[in-house]
Amino acid sequence: MGIIKVIILLSVLSKSLVSSSSNKPYVEDVLLDRITKKYKQYAKIRFIKLQDTLDKTKRISELRKLKMVNDFYNKVRYTSDKKIYRVSDYWATPYEFLGKDKGDCEDYVISKYFALEYLGIDSKKLFFTYVKSSKFKETHMVLTYFKTPRAEPLILDNINSKIFLASKRKDLIPIYNFNPKSLKKSHKKVHKKWDILYYNFKIGKI
Amino acid sequence: MRLFKQIAILLTIFLTILLLTILTLNFQNASKSVAERLYEDAKNTATSLSLSLGTANGNISVMSIMIDANFDSGHYGYISLVDVDDELIHIIKKTTNTHDVPQWFIDAIDIKAPIASANVSAGWSPIGILNVQSDVSYAYIQLYTILKSLFVSFTILAIIGLIVLNSIMMIILKPLEKVHFQAEAAVRNEFIIEDTNIFTTEFRDVVIGMNTMVLKAKTMFDKGNEEFKKYKELEYTDEVTKLKNRKYFMNKLPEYLKTDASSLGGINIVIEITGLIDANEAIGRDSVDKLLFNIASILSEHSSQYKHSIVTKMNAAEFFILIPDFTYEDGLVLVDSISTLIGDSIEDYELDASKVYSSIGISEYSYKDRVGVLLARTDSALTHSKYLKNNKYLEKVENKSEVMNNDKWKNIINNALQENAFSLTLWNVLNTKNKKIIYNSISFTLNVDSKTIYSFGQFMLPANQLSLSNNIYKNILNMLFKTPDKRLTSTTCSLKLSYDYLMLDDTYKEMKNLFTLYASDLPFKLIIELPDKLVRKNSKQIKQYKALFENYKINIGIGEFIGESSDYQYLQDLRPIYIKADKDFFINQDEKALSSLRLMTEAGGISLIATGVNNVKIVNQLSKKDIYIIQGEATDMIKF
Repeated sequence: MGIIKVIILLSVLSKSLVSSSSNKPYVEDVLLDRITKKYKQYAKIRFIKLQDTLDKTKRISELRKLKMVNDFYNKVRYTSDKKIYRVSDYWATPYEFLGKDKGDCEDYVISKYFALEYLGIDSKKLFFTYVKSSKFKETHMVLTYFKTPRAEPLILDNINSKIFLASKRKDLIPIYNFNPKSLKKSHKKVHKKWDILYYNFKIGKI
Repeated sequence: MRLFKQIAILLTIFLTILLLTILTLNFQNASKSVAERLYEDAKNTATSLSLSLGTANGNISVMSIMIDANFDSGHYGYISLVDVDDELIHIIKKTTNTHDVPQWFIDAIDIKAPIASANVSAGWSPIGILNVQSDVSYAYIQLYTILKSLFVSFTILAIIGLIVLNSIMMIILKPLEKVHFQAEAAVRNEFIIEDTNIFTTEFRDVVIGMNTMVLKAKTMFDKGNEEFKKYKELEYTDEVTKLKNRKYFMNKLPEYLKTDASSLGGINIVIEITGLIDANEAIGRDSVDKLLFNIASILSEHSSQYKHSIVTKMNAAEFFILIPDFTYEDGLVLVDSISTLIGDSIEDYELDASKVYSSIGISEYSYKDRVGVLLARTDSALTHSKYLKNNKYLEKVENKSEVMNNDKWKNIINNALQENAFSLTLWNVLNTKNKKIIYNSISFTLNVDSKTIYSFGQFMLPANQLSLSNNIYKNILNMLFKTPDKRLTSTTCSLKLSYDYLMLDDTYKEMKNLFTLYASDLPFKLIIELPDKLVRKNSKQIKQYKALFENYKINIGIGEFIGESSDYQYLQDLRPIYIKADKDFFINQDEKALSSLRLMTEAGGISLIATGVNNVKIVNQLSKKDIYIIQGEATDMIKF
């Protein structure tokens, strides 16, 4: 009986150590109700699955977390902003992205970024990277993960679903890196698109 | 304060607040915009420079040169590059230069140039963070220039706005000027009808209302004027001869029998026509009336040559000719001529001269006489004349000679004029109804020494005879204006001026000069009393005096009124504040005539004052006639 008590206590302790926000769901009930109301039952199921995925990944390594999140979001269909939002470029919130179950490259990056941040990964390690795809001859965005500031980054992409080291992605030419958290200290405004997105995310735009 | 001024101040304050608020908001917006611009510029530089720095592949010296080059090309406070470990790689900054901006402006306006940052990468790897801050001095210069431009444009706007507002207000409030002008005129009892073609409804209604009121008052005045004229014509005119009658003579006589009369005395000729009943039987009433009219014409022609003379028909067969400053000897010549012409006239109607004839008596009169004495003396002269059958008889005035001769008076008056030996005395003008003194009537005494003091009545008569009265009036006016008596301070006083003095050529000019220099400092409110026989002429001279008095806010009073004018429109034109008449004038007035006079004076805001009221009995008699304002010895007898 004594051993069982110790195991239960350790389990509780370890749960509380995973993340300060671990008790708080990624999508709260009120928001989920709104999403369900707008995007119907299947959307709700997608968000429940997301929550399940996130819950499962809380206690695993960062690399596994990256894989799980990358895999989850890469199942969403790619569709251009023009078709979804009737504008040339729109940064959708994770709720809009998964609610509609479609989006373009920035939307994958955004959703992965917030999900990984929820999982407790230091957002300073995550960069929004503007790249040029030599395969598609067009601009593209990927999420880059730096284990340390000077380490070679891992690329979380929606075109190539697998995570590779940057040096393995010869099809991508990096143009510009952008980390909102590292710039936040200088001014309340960081980046025009990011600022709007962050506001929409905070108010739970769906 | 006038309404126009009040609205103008209010609108100016409102406009100033409005413009200042707009200016402040504009400037705040401009400040915000400049601050945002500072950030946007810095952000744009940070982004574009960070992209450029990416091409340097992490070569610090190349990146430093690129940063310096960028810094030199624009307005920056500083540009710095820190590596991923927050270690400073490169920084360039400049000192703030705000020489063109005054210090107060820098102290008052707090501008903070925000720092814009961008990530710098070389390929996939981040190198660090680029921080850019725009030059705050450039923002101060820009803002100060904006402020100056705003001030200039708002000042121009304010001036234009005030001019436009002023013009609009003048157009809108123009009818108010009419209302104001009419209201002031109404206070002055002027009957002005204003044009009602006014755009603003409220103002139009006010003007219509005022016009109605003014019209009512004017109608009252006109009605009173018409009625009084009619009554006076009937009351004072003999129907057959068109001469003035006994009543007129009785009302006019006090003018000659007073201490300050312009003449010491003269003669009164009485002409009685005997045998008119026989004449009626012989030639008929119409012819007798014509005969009497002819006789009246003879008398009028003879008397018209003499200043201040009056001809009256006293009863059916009796005529008076009163001629001031006329001797018995002169009278004899006149009487001879009159007697002959009347005789001829009787002959023309083929009447028996032994039955129809004229009897003429000459009697002297003195200013000291009472009316009854004058009439008794005239009667006696006629009786003697008839008894003596020579048709002429002189009834002399006893004790006519003065105590002092003219030379002595001349010396006294001249000395007094030189030494300003006139002292002011005040007579109350009292309202017996509420027992309040409403004015003080100014009079003067001549002080030879502490024991010898002559009253106004005593010294003015010889002064008139010696032609010194005008100098006395001049002296008195100078004294009153230049060294006003302290007793007059804050009171309302009337000063009576004589006909002769006012008619002098130099009087107006002298008065004007005196008023110009001293009237504005007069410590009391002055009423100048003018004789009715002067003002009723409504001459150019009177209009001049009226304009002069009005200019210096000096009121006009009318004295010696007996209602002998052919029209009383002059009362409306002159707008006196009172009319003074001898107590007997009011007491002997027919009720209808008096009520028409009252109607006229009430409409014109004119008070009626009875003079020479020396006892309470007369006060009561006057009260029965609704005359309550009195002047005379009785004012001291009324118990307060």
